Amino acid sequence: MSLSQETLEAHLNDPAVLCCRRPAGTVLSAADFEDPAIFPDLVDSNLMTLKEGGLTIQQALGATLINDGEALTQLTPDLLDGVKDIPSASDDDESDDSADTSASSDDGGPDSCSCCGTAGEIPTPVAQASAGGYVHLHLDKAEGLDLVFPAGGAVSGSCPAAPMTASPAASVPPAEDDTPADRVLRTLVKKDYPVTKVVIGSETSYADGVLTVDGSLVEAAKKADPLVKDVEMTVINPADRHVYSNTIMDVIPVAAKAEGKLGEGVTNVLSGAVFVLTGMDEAGVQVHEFGSCEGYMDEKIRYGRPGCPDDNDIMIRVDVKIEKGTGMERRGPFAAHSACDVIVHACREAIKNLDGVKPIGEETFKDVRRAGRPRVVLVKEIMGQGAMHDNLLVPTEPCGVKGGQKNVDLGNVPVVLSPNEVLDGGIHALACIGPATKEITRHFFREPLVEALQTDEELDLTGVVFIGSPQVNDEKTFVSERLGALVEAMEVDGAIVTTEGFGNNHIDFSENIAAIGSRGVPVVGVTFAAYQGQLVVGNKYMDAMIELNKDPEGFENEILADNTTTPDDAARAILMLKTKMAGIPIEPPEHKWDEAVIEANKRLVK
Amino acid sequence: MPTAFKLTTAKGLKSEIYVPWTPKPVWTPLTKPLNQCKVAFITSGGIHKKDQTPFNTAGDWSYREIPSDTPSDQLMVTHGGFDNSDINKDVNAMLPIDRLRELVKEGFIGSLVPTFYGFMGGGGNVDKFEHVTGPEIAKKLKAEGADIVLATGGCGTCHRSCTLVLRCCEAAGMSTCIIAALPPIARQQGAPRITAPLVPIGSNAGEPNNPQMQMGILKDTLNAMEEFDHFGQMKALPYEYRHNV
Repeated sequence: MSLSQETLEAHLNDPAVLCCRRPAGTVLSAADFEDPAIFPDLVDSNLMTLKEGGLTIQQALGATLINDGEALTQLTPDLLDGVKDIPSASDDDESDDSADTSASSDDGGPDSCSCCGTAGEIPTPVAQASAGGYVHLHLDKAEGLDLVFPAGGAVSGSCPAAPMTASPAASVPPAEDDTPADRVLRTLVKKDYPVTKVVIGSETSYADGVLTVDGSLVEAAKKADPLVKDVEMTVINPADRHVYSNTIMDVIPVAAKAEGKLGEGVTNVLSGAVFVLTGMDEAGVQVHEFGSCEGYMDEKIRYGRPGCPDDNDIMIRVDVKIEKGTGMERRGPFAAHSACDVIVHACREAIKNLDGVKPIGEETFKDVRRAGRPRVVLVKEIMGQGAMHDNLLVPTEPCGVKGGQKNVDLGNVPVVLSPNEVLDGGIHALACIGPATKEITRHFFREPLVEALQTDEELDLTGVVFIGSPQVNDEKTFVSERLGALVEAMEVDGAIVTTEGFGNNHIDFSENIAAIGSRGVPVVGVTFAAYQGQLVVGNKYMDAMIELNKDPEGFENEILADNTTTPDDAARAILMLKTKMAGIPIEPPEHKWDEAVIEANKRLVK
Repeated sequence: MPTAFKLTTAKGLKSEIYVPWTPKPVWTPLTKPLNQCKVAFITSGGIHKKDQTPFNTAGDWSYREIPSDTPSDQLMVTHGGFDNSDINKDVNAMLPIDRLRELVKEGFIGSLVPTFYGFMGGGGNVDKFEHVTGPEIAKKLKAEGADIVLATGGCGTCHRSCTLVLRCCEAAGMSTCIIAALPPIARQQGAPRITAPLVPIGSNAGEPNNPQMQMGILKDTLNAMEEFDHFGQMKALPYEYRHNV
């Protein structure tokens, strides 16, 4: 594929390769060279080899072919007359490794910050105007401190930050002193009550660390939905986890509102025991879509992930059998979740009023408006394609089913929750996708990005937007466009977009990122991609990405929640967003998934 | 908008995921079984009937209508972007017209559209292929009732021109797939579906005079179309042919 003049200029130091067959005597111009951006792909697919001693495009430009040349022939001095004597530029290109495509990301169009491209070599301190109208002032000695203020005279008189022309020494203000006071919008207290033992008895109760679950609730659960054919309940203690289980559909904490509505007041939470919903249909088909995690529970769960049981949690397994053939219809999994919720809800009732019982822990969550700090939004893509792919938004009780609005019925359009609403069980997940990449109900109850952004005093978290991934392509475009309009109205300075799963939802993911990035808002994308989930679509706004993979081979490995967001991932995503908002370049990725890149980024998180 | 604020940042952060830049997805799901589908074939490899005006090899966005019952010995190639010797031996190496008729006879596919289209995508004018040639071919194929549009590229820019036309067909409501000798280009240009046998440009549909390979590539491509469930997927096909020109 030949190069345009603009592309040519970005690739002058890349290897010169003929794009098409050219006859002897051709004087080489842009139209004769293959686009270096696809060299790694061509090399990987054995369509081309790149040897040492090849010419760069700059050297070959204007030279004459001595003989006929086939497409994808690498140009070397012996093939050409009139080669320019220009030293190879690759020697001083620090990020170059032969077929590296780094240059392809340097021509990122008008939105990329080419003026900052050499930040590493500039003497300190230096101020630079960057994309988004900010001046970026960097001081090498004040490690980790960057001051950012609007360029172009919008700086108010009281602002200590100096315009670009001021003496650098005068421009180090104690920014915190001028920071306006935080405004707390609502407060949520989660009170933790310990569970040391779970027994199945004749009445549901909680006392002295013992949760007793009424065994006859199983019968009530069977009546929750006509599609439910059988329900079994088992208590699995941490020491006895080597038990076989059907695929795990969800992990649900027992949490009940003691005061106030979802997102505020007091929520009582049982600590030390969680419900685990498993299921198959009457024909023995596991209720799953892409990969299933049926097997031994000590092997098939990544204990300690935000969505999973913790190491010492007692699991109350509710195994639901649903009508034959309904596992891949939306109503089947919903019936299983409804049945399980009958039992969970009875436990909630038992802990609603624990006056006089002392909690073993208390966590306070605050939705805070931090004026004067960059406004950011977290966008979480959830599945909305029927089958298991649905999520219930803002149920009446934390992590409950009743009262929740179905994402699919809402048309997958973006819906805003406050951070506290999310952390108070505002999402009941019917997600299936692959077991390793799905975000299940407990994940949202302790979502690492929400928790970290909410408490980050350098940022003003405006809200959490949930957007579905619809089944039909034009609906995908519709919801992405609505997201763009919403984010525009929110006037944010930065955004993080996450998605669970991989495959066709990466189309939504890339469109959602473009909807935000094209409005000039710095955006960071977070997903599992690695080997198995490599992106098939993308755009220039996806230049700051966080990889969620934890599998050594880069696969969706059928271990529950293995490849979901952890606090480590959240910390990298937030650092990357702040860095991007400050106008500091994020280096382009390697052409292939490389764990070393992730490890190096982790080391940059203080 | 904040006036002054502190941000903890880091120099040297690297994006962790490789992202191919592609145009917007365009997608028409394949909803019929193959044996009920009406299939079209287009190629940007410069194929036309011997009695038609040859393409201008310096760049040409016109196209030629090739009736799908044209005997293969009445077809030829005019293309300067690759070695023509394979197509000169057997035009089925680029436009597998004999194999497609055999697929209908076998009942593997339902029928063929009356007209296939040949164009010369080398050095192709992107704007013309995207806004003139592509929509025209798409409109005609749709009118002829095509469910599936298969295609071969040719050279590098041919793959680009071919993908642009296929995207128009996909947008017009037909399921398309390019049999790509240069899959990275098809992918970068936003081909909805890609199959990739290991073949050189110039015999994109398989080795000349090797009906078994040509048939295998077509069948595997059609089967893959039933598996693909979203935009941008690619499947490598287990056929290898090297042509040392």
